[in-house]
Amino acid sequence: MSQLGRVKQWNTFARCWHLFDAAWQNPLECSPTIEKYLKGLNKPIYHPLVDCGDHVVVINSKQIAFPGEEWRRRAYFHHTGYSGGATWTPAWELHDRDPTMIFRKAVYHHMKGNLFRRVVMERLHIFSDSNVPEEVMENITNQIPPLRSIPKTLSSYSKEEIEKYPKIIDYPEDFILSKN
Amino acid sequence: MVFTTAIMMVRSRGPDEFWRKRKIFKIAAHFSGRRRNCYSIAIKAVHRALQFATIGRTVRKTDMIDLWNTRIKAGCEEHGVEINNFKDSLSRCDIQLNKKVLADLAIWEPNSFKALSDLAKSVAIDYNLPGTEKYDKPSNVITRGLLKK
Repeated sequence: MSQLGRVKQWNTFARCWHLFDAAWQNPLECSPTIEKYLKGLNKPIYHPLVDCGDHVVVINSKQIAFPGEEWRRRAYFHHTGYSGGATWTPAWELHDRDPTMIFRKAVYHHMKGNLFRRVVMERLHIFSDSNVPEEVMENITNQIPPLRSIPKTLSSYSKEEIEKYPKIIDYPEDFILSKN
Repeated sequence: MVFTTAIMMVRSRGPDEFWRKRKIFKIAAHFSGRRRNCYSIAIKAVHRALQFATIGRTVRKTDMIDLWNTRIKAGCEEHGVEINNFKDSLSRCDIQLNKKVLADLAIWEPNSFKALSDLAKSVAIDYNLPGTEKYDKPSNVITRGLLKK
C-alpha cells in the first residue's frame, strides 16, 4: 500500500470522540442516537463485522429526565444467583446509588445482544456531572445536539429579567401574594 | 482427504459405497472433529449445512439491502438530507441509481455523493416536499425550476 493510501486508511477508520449532554434528556429516547455513534452507523463505511464505531462521552447523567411516573414505576431487576436473590429496585433508588447506571442500562438494553455489545459499550463513557478528566476531554471533536430543548427554570431568571418581564397588571402595594 | 481430480468424482454416481460416501466427505471436508471423518455423523452435518446454505441464499440478499440502506442513510446524514427526500428527489429527476451503487458512491466517491445530495436538496425544495423547510438551498446547483416536471 502506498504511503498516501495508508494515511487515507487511517483517517477513514480513525475513531472520533463525541460529547453528549444528558441534562434534561430522556435516556430511553437518547439510546438510539448514542447507539448510532457507538456502532459507527453514522459512517458510510459501516459494516456489522467491522469495528468502526466512535467513542461517546456522556456528561451530566445525574440530571436525566424520565416522563410521568417512570421514576417510581420503572423497576430494575437483579438476581444474585442464589435462591431468593431477586431484587427489584425502583429507578429513583438506583439513580441515587449510581447516577450513571440508568443511562448505561438504557443504552445496553437498547442494543441487540451479541458478542459485540460489550465491546461497543466499552466506548461509552458516562459521567454524572460535567467534571470530565482532561485526558478524555482533549480527544473530543464533536458535540451531539440534544434531542430535547432544555427548559429554563424559574430560579435561573435574573432579577433584571423578572423586572423586564411583560406584566398584565401591577399588584397594589397591600396585595398579599403569599403569606410566606 | 485429498481430492486429486474432479474427473474421479464423476464415477461417484451409482451404487459403489466408497464413491457415494466420498461425495459426502468432500462436502464435509472443512468440518471439525468426527463430523468430517465418520460417515453417519458427517451425513447429518452435511444435510444441516445444506439446509442453512439454502436459507442463506435469501437471507444474504435482505442483509445486503439492509446494509446498503444503512450506508446511504449515513451518507445522507453527513450532508443533512433525509433519506426519504433523497430517494424521492432522485427518482423525480430520473436518476436511476440502485442502492448498491449509491452505497458505493457514498464510500468511494464522497464528492459525487455530495453532488447528488445537493441536487436532491434543491429538487426537494423545488417540489416543496415535506420536511424541506429546514434545508438551505445549495448555491452550487442552479435548477431555475427547470427540473420540475
